[in-house]
Amino acid sequence: MRTRLCQAGLTSLRSSSYGGPPEPRRRRKTRLYVGVLLCATFATSHTLLAHHSFAMFDTAKRVTMSGTVTGFEWTNPHVYIEIDVPGDKGAVKHWSVELGSPSILMQAGWKFSDVKVNDKITVVLNPLRSGEAGGLLVTATVRDGRVLGNGPGRVGGQP
Amino acid sequence: MSRHVTARPLGRALLLLFVVMASHAHAQTPPDLSGAWAPYRGGRGADPKLNPPPPTPIVLKAPYAKPYDERRAAEADAIKRGEPLGTAAVQCVPYGFPRMMAVASYPAEIIQRPSQITIVTEAFSEVRRVYMNQPQQPIDEVPPGYYGHSVGKWEGDTLVIDTVGIKESVLGYQNTPHSSQMRITERIRLVTPDMLHDQITVEDPVVLEKPFTYTLAYRRMPDYKMVEFVCENNREYLDEKGAVKMKLRERE
Repeated sequence: MRTRLCQAGLTSLRSSSYGGPPEPRRRRKTRLYVGVLLCATFATSHTLLAHHSFAMFDTAKRVTMSGTVTGFEWTNPHVYIEIDVPGDKGAVKHWSVELGSPSILMQAGWKFSDVKVNDKITVVLNPLRSGEAGGLLVTATVRDGRVLGNGPGRVGGQP
Repeated sequence: MSRHVTARPLGRALLLLFVVMASHAHAQTPPDLSGAWAPYRGGRGADPKLNPPPPTPIVLKAPYAKPYDERRAAEADAIKRGEPLGTAAVQCVPYGFPRMMAVASYPAEIIQRPSQITIVTEAFSEVRRVYMNQPQQPIDEVPPGYYGHSVGKWEGDTLVIDTVGIKESVLGYQNTPHSSQMRITERIRLVTPDMLHDQITVEDPVVLEKPFTYTLAYRRMPDYKMVEFVCENNREYLDEKGAVKMKLRERE
């Protein structure tokens, strides 16, 4: 995610003239290098800050699903949403979705009451690489239609 | 003309008096660091003057360098395979000092009294107590723990904290190992009224070839209310290979 943010940021750095007059080429280059340096710094600080690696989730893949909430665990070290997702011919598949911690989610605008059992919910998640029915939240569309992310900065910002 | 001659020395004397009084008052009143602070990592648009200086290199003595490098390589391989190796935090064990001072975007709260400064970090609700103006205990008399024994003093505007007694199983910055002889010196100061730097120097005559220093930055969070953190619902676990897995729930 951070890498992707960095890529996006660098692309915009590269193309943007910030609405002002075109910059001399040298300054543009300097700014790009500074961006690359910052991103490199973030990439290396990653291991220092993360509670665990997110490598069990396939962060290159995104799956969208809608279903009914059967459980919402507003707990540490992670918040979880349990969802029954209807499939073909009345079959229902159950998914467990991992989120950041309450503190990190509150920094991103979440409240403990944003999800309740029996709510209809749509989630975008990075699925487990193992193929089991679990994943890491990217965004959730909650019952009042708000789209909530998984915390500031890095994926989830877990401890 | 003669007026000027007499006025100048008087002005200088008054200025000198003012400077002396001001610096005296300054030395007696340390800055108030009380409140919540969020880790600050700069980023786009940030003022580079506020960014902490880069860390100095970590040089481990040979017997420690090899296992450390091997562990780092194993961690990198495991991440590539999608089976990250577990850390103590995955099992709800707190970080301890000094890693607790920089955990994702979790804030830290400073409670400042003349005799004691208490630092509470949000992730895992970790607590450090810094006893002011007291001599440090000999290392071998401090029971090894997650936070050790910290004493502090003000050197002008800088809070200097000395910490010993960190348990050897509590890993350091970048997961570096350490011995019971580790000593950590922090120099904490406001670089602007709302920006704090904590310069951390780690000395360990057993494990390190030479001390290393890194600096953490924090920005003030006015009116922030610290969030509780009780690690009660850990659904991550380590499998038989020590890889992190996630407990799934069945359909009810």
